[in-house]
Amino acid sequence: MSQDIATIRVTRYRPEKDAKPFFQEYKVPYRHDMVVLDALNYIKAEIDGSLTYRWSCRMGVCGSCGANIDGEPKLTCASFLHEFKGRTITVEPMTHFPVIKDLVVDMQDFMEKLVKIKPWIIREKETPPEQGEYKQSAKELERYSQFSSCINCMLCYAACPIYGLNEKFLGPAATALAYRYIEDSRDQGKEVRFPIVHEMEGAWECTLVGECSVVCPKGVDPMLAIQKTKILGATNAIKSLLMPRGGR
Amino acid sequence: MEDNKRYPELRRRLSPGWWTANRHYTMYMVREWTSLFVALYSLIFIYGLSLWAMGSRADFLNFLKNPAIVGFSLIALVFTMYHAATWFYLLGAVAPVKIGRSRTKPWQALVLNLILLVIISYLAIWLLVLR
Amino acid sequence: MKAETHKVARLHAMLWGIFSLGGMIAAFLLPVLIYMTAIAYPYSLWPFNGARDPSFLVTGHLLGALFIFVTIAGSLYHGIFRFQSALTEVGLLKYRRALEAVGYFIIFVGIIVLAYYLVTWYLNGTIT
Repeated sequence: MSQDIATIRVTRYRPEKDAKPFFQEYKVPYRHDMVVLDALNYIKAEIDGSLTYRWSCRMGVCGSCGANIDGEPKLTCASFLHEFKGRTITVEPMTHFPVIKDLVVDMQDFMEKLVKIKPWIIREKETPPEQGEYKQSAKELERYSQFSSCINCMLCYAACPIYGLNEKFLGPAATALAYRYIEDSRDQGKEVRFPIVHEMEGAWECTLVGECSVVCPKGVDPMLAIQKTKILGATNAIKSLLMPRGGR
Repeated sequence: MEDNKRYPELRRRLSPGWWTANRHYTMYMVREWTSLFVALYSLIFIYGLSLWAMGSRADFLNFLKNPAIVGFSLIALVFTMYHAATWFYLLGAVAPVKIGRSRTKPWQALVLNLILLVIISYLAIWLLVLR
Repeated sequence: MKAETHKVARLHAMLWGIFSLGGMIAAFLLPVLIYMTAIAYPYSLWPFNGARDPSFLVTGHLLGALFIFVTIAGSLYHGIFRFQSALTEVGLLKYRRALEAVGYFIIFVGIIVLAYYLVTWYLNGTIT
């Protein structure tokens, strides 16, 4: 098999040594089926063992290996080196997140938001497992199924300028996941979740830039989910105005 | 959760010019700034009406014929059309209609709504001026 | 963990609803209005190639006055709301409160003035 050489420019940042991040360039021989993550693994194994980055499944399922590749948030395991043939590939940590080291970012903010929206089925009264599962039709499943494909890779946050400007914004993935439960026929937690997504820093911050839906590697459409969430919020508000008691 | 940040936080902040970074962002910002023309035209129209209210009908009509106002309005029309087109496209993106097993695409909503815009515009002229 | 308190931004939700409605109005009704006032009338084109002029649009009949009110008020609301939000995205986020205040002030004054003229003309018989 023929081999090419890729030039990769990776952000290096070692907080204990460097005041500022800098780029380091590596030459990596590659075959047609190699991705950026393979190149990073090659660098770590053969050239520079100190390069730090996250990865796990190398097949677009775990959502660990996101980075900004030539400025665009992408999974490094899903970006083929041959697509950048003849150009230097720039790999930077995902934007908008604090950097811990090299390509590794601090995920705490996202993790807190993920927990905040209560990503589980809430029932008014849990029934014991012996009584069987909560049933759902194929049609009911279809209402939310695309939003359940999220792998928490945070690429949508790196793509969202609104999050970049204001980190209090609940953001694409968390809102989409909240909407996934709001739309789930088995869920009875709307009263709990609405205040979370409909508070000032919830869905309202979104101005439909739409880049979250463009970069999502799993075909989730967070922009759609956020917009639907806003429509629910507006209808709830108008309902509560017309029918102050009950109504919701 | 315990705070264990031992080193100064490094985070790339967005500069005011972030929207020049890629084409999508630029198109987005252009889309948002079209709203300035939508707002300004509305304000200018209200100002025109105030000329009428405090003066005469002819003042209002002369104001509309003022080359500067005509020129601005023509620019505003271009941006308003751009606003309308992006609005229709977004409508298709956030409210896809299911037909059978497939969902409508945003560009289909754009085309359909542009046709609707022409019909509504004609109806408005017919109903408000010609009748 | 600290106790969670979340407050539905109910007023903002309603304002957003009006904003969306304004977007519909600006998209579907504003272009034809600008065409009529800025192209058809100054250049004497259809439908203003006859005896009528844009003043007929405003005071010709109640429906016209309603069209003007809905189109101008909706577009003004949508335009200002969106533009002040766009300004917060190009480095003015820290002035958000002030921008919102100025924005809503312009919207409020604009709509009140517009309504005042139209209602006055309706009451004194200018609008027939």
